[in-house]
Amino acid sequence: MSVYLQCQGLRKVFGASVVLDDISLEVQEGQCLVLLGPSGCGKTTLLNVISGMLAADGGELRCNGRLMDSAAKGVHVPIQERGLAMVFQDLSLWPHMSVAENVGFGLRIRGMKANDRRHRIDTVLEQVEMGGFRDRMPNELSGGQQQRVAIARALAVQPSLLLLDEPLSALDARLREDLKLELAGLLRESGVTAVYVTHDQQEAFALGDQVAVLHGGRLAQLAPPEKLYDSPCSAFVARFIGSSNLLPFRQLDGYALIEDHIAIRVLAADVPMEGHCMVRREAVGVLDKQPFAETSDQVILAGVCEQTHFLGERKEAQLRLPSGERLRGVTAGHIPSGAPVWARFPKNAVRFLAD
Amino acid sequence: MIAALRRGLGRRLPLLLCAALLALATGYPVLLLFLQSIFPDILGGSLAGAFDAYRRIIETPELGAMIGTSLGWAGAVTLVSWVFGIPCGYLLARTNLPGKLWARMSLLIPIMTPPYILALSYVLVMQQGGFGDVLLPIPNGLRAWFFSFWGVTVVMALASFGYVALAVEATLSTLPRRLEDAATVLGASWRARVRHVLLPLTVPAILNSGLLVFLEALSNFGVPAVLGTRSNLPLLPAEIFYLVTSWPLDLALATSLSSLLCLLALMALYGKRCLAQWMAGGHIRPGTAALQPLSRRWIWLGWGWIGGLFLFSSVLPYCAMVLTSLAESWGGDGFPPLTLKHYVALFEPGSRSLWALATSLGLSVAAATLCVVIGGYIAYVSVRSSGPLRHVLDGLATLPRVIPKIVVAVGLILAWNAPWIPLNIYNTVWMLLLAYVVIYITDALNYANSTVRGMSPNLEHAATVLGAGRYTVFTRIVLPGLRPALMAAWLTTFIVCMRELVASVLLLPPGVDVTATYIFNQFEQGDIAAAMAMATVTIVISTIVLVGFQFRRRP
Repeated sequence: MSVYLQCQGLRKVFGASVVLDDISLEVQEGQCLVLLGPSGCGKTTLLNVISGMLAADGGELRCNGRLMDSAAKGVHVPIQERGLAMVFQDLSLWPHMSVAENVGFGLRIRGMKANDRRHRIDTVLEQVEMGGFRDRMPNELSGGQQQRVAIARALAVQPSLLLLDEPLSALDARLREDLKLELAGLLRESGVTAVYVTHDQQEAFALGDQVAVLHGGRLAQLAPPEKLYDSPCSAFVARFIGSSNLLPFRQLDGYALIEDHIAIRVLAADVPMEGHCMVRREAVGVLDKQPFAETSDQVILAGVCEQTHFLGERKEAQLRLPSGERLRGVTAGHIPSGAPVWARFPKNAVRFLAD
Repeated sequence: MIAALRRGLGRRLPLLLCAALLALATGYPVLLLFLQSIFPDILGGSLAGAFDAYRRIIETPELGAMIGTSLGWAGAVTLVSWVFGIPCGYLLARTNLPGKLWARMSLLIPIMTPPYILALSYVLVMQQGGFGDVLLPIPNGLRAWFFSFWGVTVVMALASFGYVALAVEATLSTLPRRLEDAATVLGASWRARVRHVLLPLTVPAILNSGLLVFLEALSNFGVPAVLGTRSNLPLLPAEIFYLVTSWPLDLALATSLSSLLCLLALMALYGKRCLAQWMAGGHIRPGTAALQPLSRRWIWLGWGWIGGLFLFSSVLPYCAMVLTSLAESWGGDGFPPLTLKHYVALFEPGSRSLWALATSLGLSVAAATLCVVIGGYIAYVSVRSSGPLRHVLDGLATLPRVIPKIVVAVGLILAWNAPWIPLNIYNTVWMLLLAYVVIYITDALNYANSTVRGMSPNLEHAATVLGAGRYTVFTRIVLPGLRPALMAAWLTTFIVCMRELVASVLLLPPGVDVTATYIFNQFEQGDIAAAMAMATVTIVISTIVLVGFQFRRRP
């Protein structure tokens, strides 16, 4: 496997604001990189730099070894020559062309003969399960079907690099769920190298071989999904990935102090002086009777139940600690709000993160 | 059961009322015109001589040739307008041409100029012994070319290319740039993008504006009457006019030619629809368009194009108009001495010209107000109801847009001159007011229609839920929402009424003038300076009203 896409210190400035700041990352051939982050984090700008719609102000962009963009060397390969394909957020199917014409456009531009073209169009439409729709017009299709055509249009040219800009965000939740898995399958099957922009971490986990979390124009963390979930590198990433409890802590003589009375022994060199510690919700048990500390490697915090809610596969309770911090965990039964409760979690489930 | 019936009727009453009103105002005259064209003596109560007039049209080769010329001329005007207008639209919508505001203004001036005034001005520029002869060296070859098919075509195109330019601009500037980006990413060059994406998506706008220009050219009376007669170019509207106004009157032939003109207009509309369907534009969600950076050379070329069109569509004719109105006389060589005496004569108390101006102002204000009030209400009723009656209403309301003005005017003559009409409004000024309202209510309707369509019915439901009645809902919720659209409609209607020529010429009682007929008649009778002074005054008044509204609209 070789490196296909390489960004080195990419930088983009709009007026006075730095939108991309020193972004360095690599994508292996045939893999899918997901750019994840809240709106305004620079993920779409990064995609636009990769596509060539924007020129970088600093750093270098290489694709398959070829220099695509470098402000210092004055290189900016135009979009047309990058051999890309892209799926847009608003799909942007040409309304005056039929499904087949839309899908065949890129092939036509590349000068493919009509016969081969027809064959290729059929193959790709079969791939996205739209075989029976080749002569329909885009406005006669449902949102999900239009999405499939947009993906087929991009895959038809067998691009070396496929860019996807929040392609599922225009669809409703259920359809998004179905298409997400299908798209993941398609990407793997076609072996295309892909860069996928989204703000939805479920999508990121389902599709990405690597996930790059962006924050304020900087790369906050680049890791495979499992690693990102298990050990986020900062409180921001943990908060953005979701389903974690975050409690402030400070370090004192080799101990991390939580809520001023719980001390966990830590290796001083690995843990910052202060920050937030993270405990996954599923690691926290919420009980309505005070438990005995069974072993010394468990933490027990007392609080007041604020609410419980039923989430289908489990029941979740939210409690308030005396310090005012909130904690969520799994509970077995219904607990009335206002009742005293206790949260229990193992010490080794706690991660200490810098802010 | 009766209560239920009454309730149903109560709900349908506004719709019925509107339909009845439109049927009487528009449907009845047009229907009568068709009937009269088939049965020449129907007004006398006889069905004798059916299709006589049509037979005469078929048997007279000159009439057939004239219809052919009319169609060819309208087609040529459309083509030339496309050639003039499409580059302007592209430059405005898709490039970073500097000074777009001025460019856009330069397009609005010829749109605002009545075609007959443009034609009259060009006669001044081009005719022997006129303005051009004295100030500009005009070779005889150019003069001969001007007073021919193509010269007349270019004048009409100069009056109408602005529609094409603005329509193309509107479409191109809302075409989302993503649609082009999608093609660029797949490797399409600028050329391929224009050919495969931009052009096909602009075709509907090009066809629509082309149809507008075609219909206007086919049914325009001013340019054929002024230039067609001087260029030996017989055109249908001028012919109909002479059949109705010159002795011996030939109503049968006039109405059958009118019916044919209508038919041609409808066929053009239908043809455009088929063409548009065949070329399938597709629905586009508007977005922001991409701007193409222009090199210095292209900026010069672009401004050269727009500036050249401005020179010929506005500067030259307006100079001719104003200079003529100020000139003492055009007898000798060189620049004539200037004088204001034509304007003084124009405003002399009790003069015909001052009366004409007053009549025009009064009629235009009244017509614009009526159009806006009735049109706004009809649009509201039509959009907020459903069922077959609504389609009838929509159809009736859009009739005057397709049917040439001269045909509506001839129909109105028949309708209100018929023996069964008890009121004697024919041959009074009220007839003209009626004609203005019938002809121009479509504009008000369209303005209001699009606004009502954009207004959520829930705004009204919210008021109804709180206990407001139908009247309160209309006056307190709907009208305030419609106000900007209605103001724009009032303004447009006022301006077009101020310069309305064909209905005025046909329907005014003897001895009464409006500005347009005054200009037209004085020009034809040789008092060119007086005609041009009146033209100048009319245009100045329209401009003042327009600018006044613009200023008031800004808070």
